[in-house]
This record gives sequence, structure tokens and C-alpha cells, in this order.
Amino acid sequence: MADPKQLAEFSVPAISVGAAAGLIAGGLGAFVGQPVGWAVLTGLGLGVPLMLFGAGYAVLVALRKVPAGVFAPAAVYWVIGFPLALMVHAVVTEWVVAGTPGLPPEPWKFLAFRALLSMGFAIGFLWMHEQLGRHWWPRILDRNEYARRTVEQYVHLAASLEARKAATGRARKKRVA
Amino acid sequence: MDVTSKTSEVPEEPAAAAVTEKVWKAGRLEPMPIRKLPDAPPSMHILGPTVFLVALGVGMGESYMWPRLVLVFGPDIRWLFMVGVTLQAFVLLEMARYAMATGESIFFGAARVFKPLMWFFYAAAILIYMWPGHLSAGAAAFEEITGIPWQVTACVALVFVGVLFSLLSVIYNFLEKLLGLLIGVLVVGTSVIAAIVGNWDDLGRTLSGMFAFGYFPHEAMTSTWFPVVVGSIAFAGPSGMQQMWYTLQLRDSGAGMGAHIPNIRGLRTEGEAETMPSRGFMFDTEDPAEMAKWKGWRKWVTFDAILLFWGITMLVTISFTVLAMSAARQNPNVASLIEGGDRDAALKAMSDAFASAGSPILGTLFFAFIALIGLNATLGLFDSFSRGQADMTYYFVPGAKRFSMSRLYAGFLWGVILFGILILLFGPADGPAGILDTLAFLSTFAMGAYCIVLLLTNNMLLPKKIRPGPVRNVIIGFGAVFYLGMLFYCLFRFGVAVG
Repeated sequence: MADPKQLAEFSVPAISVGAAAGLIAGGLGAFVGQPVGWAVLTGLGLGVPLMLFGAGYAVLVALRKVPAGVFAPAAVYWVIGFPLALMVHAVVTEWVVAGTPGLPPEPWKFLAFRALLSMGFAIGFLWMHEQLGRHWWPRILDRNEYARRTVEQYVHLAASLEARKAATGRARKKRVA
Repeated sequence: MDVTSKTSEVPEEPAAAAVTEKVWKAGRLEPMPIRKLPDAPPSMHILGPTVFLVALGVGMGESYMWPRLVLVFGPDIRWLFMVGVTLQAFVLLEMARYAMATGESIFFGAARVFKPLMWFFYAAAILIYMWPGHLSAGAAAFEEITGIPWQVTACVALVFVGVLFSLLSVIYNFLEKLLGLLIGVLVVGTSVIAAIVGNWDDLGRTLSGMFAFGYFPHEAMTSTWFPVVVGSIAFAGPSGMQQMWYTLQLRDSGAGMGAHIPNIRGLRTEGEAETMPSRGFMFDTEDPAEMAKWKGWRKWVTFDAILLFWGITMLVTISFTVLAMSAARQNPNVASLIEGGDRDAALKAMSDAFASAGSPILGTLFFAFIALIGLNATLGLFDSFSRGQADMTYYFVPGAKRFSMSRLYAGFLWGVILFGILILLFGPADGPAGILDTLAFLSTFAMGAYCIVLLLTNNMLLPKKIRPGPVRNVIIGFGAVFYLGMLFYCLFRFGVAVG
């Protein structure tokens, strides 16, 4: 039985990537003199859906439905998630500007274009997810089963690193001696 | 605990190895002792030394030069970019072949074939990269956001990089992580911005143009545009000597036989550095187990070359092209400014177009990404230049072994920083764009030259079983003809170097 609290904790790196994208969309608003409310809404309009989709991906990793750090499943996931997140953003933006929510013109073309760009987002997402995760998961692995299991996937490699450094050092000392 | 991704195990060597040592004779220099090849890591992880090439390669070519050509000649001109970047992916794989098989840089390989070749690159690197031009674009973009004069930002950035790299214990590890994060932000952010401002038609035309092989409009053959086209092809992906430096980053990341070579350290912990061996190593290619490991390493680097290098370079340039097309549609003045060739004015106009069409945020963000690209390139260039020069100095300048590799690295780093500050303050500071263009000729020449060096090193210095096949040789040979042919055609037909 999945533990929602542990899953949420495990998903922090993935949610952070979505939050970063939200910041990119809206966080600089105040800096350029835009009304704060407008900037916040634009940021949330994109950030929240991306954070939710990011958390969804992390849950799939935690439950071992997709392997950690592999590109193809992430690309398939975001080819659906990324266009939908931008659709939400477009609807929210329309709401803020026109006063009523509305779909963008030619919604299918809108989605198809974003689906094509999603591959790039998937690379960036996976990259940052791993960067943040490799610092976050080891911190929580004592209390988080999902983090422990994911870290175990990497432990073989981490152990190899230590062994390699030690072996290289020993070999060099012997040659010098 | 840091779960580092690209790792593998070096088997411990027998103590008697030094007495009855098997060696591989390669060229005229000291033979390479035979050592065990470490196991290759699985290619599931997406971090590695290629991050340096991406950081260096995704620069002005992708964000400005190619969008400009698309606006002038239409999206079909992009097939030349496709050829350029694909060629660079093959160069990457062949650079990695030598570096992973020997643990030596390609500069060392060049010296094994013919020492003057290596000296040519030594001198060319100084001439090309001592100028602080690469700082100008990013710093100018930062000036647009903050109002701080670009020279001030550039000088502060120079000193900051010097202090930072001197304080680090192991420079490679830190830079890999930092650049990884910055490029992650760049890739995520560029995708988001392009998704907000672009549309299906822009992307469709950009993509189809990549396969319009043979399209070359008459105007592109004029003295105004041909040098620009050649320069843009040379700037597609990593330009100049960046691919050669990649062999040093492979070595320091411990890829293949690079695991037997110690890391370069910052000045603060330089005393802890281990003794640098006087040459690289080779593995036993007659041993099937070793060859199986070699295949694993080739698979690993191929994954890096295709997804990371080719994929990200393509993505960023497609995104920026879509951005330029969208800006030109919103404001026709942008198209004429971009075509006019004043880079700073064109970038400003693109930023304004996004600001008026979407929101002011988009205009600011556009500059933020140009500044980020500049920062990535600056960090990567300073490190790579110093690493390359330190490597050649240590091994080939008489008496240089008195200093450690780390000290030589610091010497070149601070040398290029101090020179950069002097040029920025008192040199030909005729605006940011002015400095960047002077690098172009030597830069393109070095690219043709390293293709020739690659053919020589990989076919003359490596054991037969791990030499490149005929197809790879033809592609790299094509690269030499491509870069040098275009460069000299440009020079003799129009009397100018690349633009």
C-alpha cells in the first residue's frame, strides 16, 4: 500500500522543477514592473500544472512503474503532460487578460506544437530531477522507503566510484614504490 | 552522500606490473604501459563530460547566427546546420575514441604523430582564446536587464571565475554539477518560452528546413553572405578547439583509461594532488573481456553524443529559431535589424517583440537566457583553455614538470583573466560584437586541422581492433575537406575570412 506522505516527500525534486518553470513564467514580473497579481497568476498558471505532472512522474518512479533516470519513459510522459500544462497556462492567461477563461484558437494545433517541444522539456526535466534528487533522496532515505529503493539503484555506481578511486590510488603508489 | 552517475571500477593492478611491463608503442614518444580497462557505467544516466561540450557549444551560433540566417534565407537553409552538428557528433565520438583508449588528450596524440602539430594548437589556442570576446554577449544581455555596464559585469565575472576555480578542491566535479544545473535550467526554460510564444507553423517550417538538403540560394554565394554562412556552419555546435578540450574532460571524469590519470585540483588543495604519469595507458585489445568492456564504453559515449550533444544543441537552436520567427512576425522591424547584422540591436528588438506580444517578462527572460548562455560558455571556456594549455605545457615544455599540473592550470587561468581585464579596460573595446568576430578564421582552421589529426591519431596510434571503420574515416575526412574547403574558398573567392 503506497504511503502518500512518503510519496510527497519523495516527489520534492520533481515538484521543484515544475516550480522553477513557474518562476520562469511569472517570477520576473515584479522585476520588470508588471503588476504583482498578474505575474503571480501567470506563474501559477504554468507552475502548478507542471508541479502536479512532475509529482505524477515521481510517483511512477517511486512505485517502480518507470525506471529512474531513463529518457524514453520520461519523454512519453511529458509528450502528454507538457502540452496539457501549457493549455492550462493559456486558459489562465486568457482569464486574467479577458476576464473569462477560454481555449486558445485551434486547440489541436496548440497541443501538437507543444507536444513536439516537450522532448526538450523532458531532457531538461530529467536532468534537473536527477541533479536535485541525488542530493535530496539520500537525506531522507532513513525514513522514506521510496527514496531508499531509488538510492539503492545508484548505490552500485557510488560504490564503484569509491572502489575506483581507491584502486587507482593504490596502483599509483605501488608504481611509485 | 553524493550519488555520482558516471562511475566504474578500476581493477587493482598486480604489484609486479612495473617489472615485466607490457607496453603499446604509439608514435615517437614514450610507449603506453598496458593496464586494465575499467568497467563501463550503464548508459542510463544523463550526466557526464559531454555537459562541457553542450555548455560551450550552445552559444551565439544557436541563439543568434542561425536564427539570423533563417530570417534572411528562409528555414530551408537549416539543412547546413543539420550537417554541421551531425558532423560534430561524429567528431565527438572519434575524439572520445582516442581519449578513452589511452587516457591522453588529443594534443598528446598530435604530439605522438608530429610534434609541430601540437605546437600549432598550442599557439592557436592562445591567439583565439585570450580575447575576452565570449564574455561580451552574455554581459551585454545582463546590462539590458540590470543597467550595469557590460565591462563591469565582465571584469567581475573574470575575477569571480578565477577565485572560484582556485578555491575548489577538484575542479572537474564541481563544474560538471554546476554546468549540469545551468543547462538544465536553460533547456527547461527555452522549451517553456518557445512553447508560450511560438506556433505550429514556425516549428513545422523550422523542422522541414532541416531536411532541405542542397538548398543554397543565389544570394548566399555573394561576398556579403557567404562568409557569414561559413562562419555559422563553423559555429554550429562546439566551434574552434572545444572538441579537443573535451578529451581532457573525458580524462578527468575517469572515462575509459582516463581512470588511471589523477584529477586536476584547485590551488588551495594542490598539495594533495597525486603524481601525474608521464604518458597515458593502453588496454589489452587481444583480451575478449577487455574488448567487451571497450564496447560498453563506446555505447556510453554514443548515448552522450546522440541524446545530450546532438539532441540539446538541436533543441536550443530550434527553440531560438522559432523565437526569432515569432518576433519577426510580430514586429517586421526585427527582421530588418537581424538581417542588418547588428547583433546587440537585433537581440534587443527580439526581446522587445516578446515583451509587447506576451508580457514584459518574456522580454526580460529572453535576455536572461542570453546571459545564461554567456555564463555557461565563460565557465567552460576558462576551465577548458587552462586545462588544455596546462596539459601541453606540462608534458612538452622543457622544465615545466617542476610545477604541478594544478599550478600550471592556475597560471594559465589567471594569465587569461588578467589579460582579459586589461583588454576590457584599455583594449579595443569597440562594443561587445567587435571582439567576437576576430576569432573566426583561426577557429575554423583549427576545426579542419583537428579532423586531420583525428584521422592520423586514431588510425596510426591505436591498436587495429579499436581503430575507426571506413565509414567513420570517410565522415571525418569529409569534415576536414568541408571546413578547410569552405574557409579557403571564402578567402580566395571573396578575399575575406569567415564572418
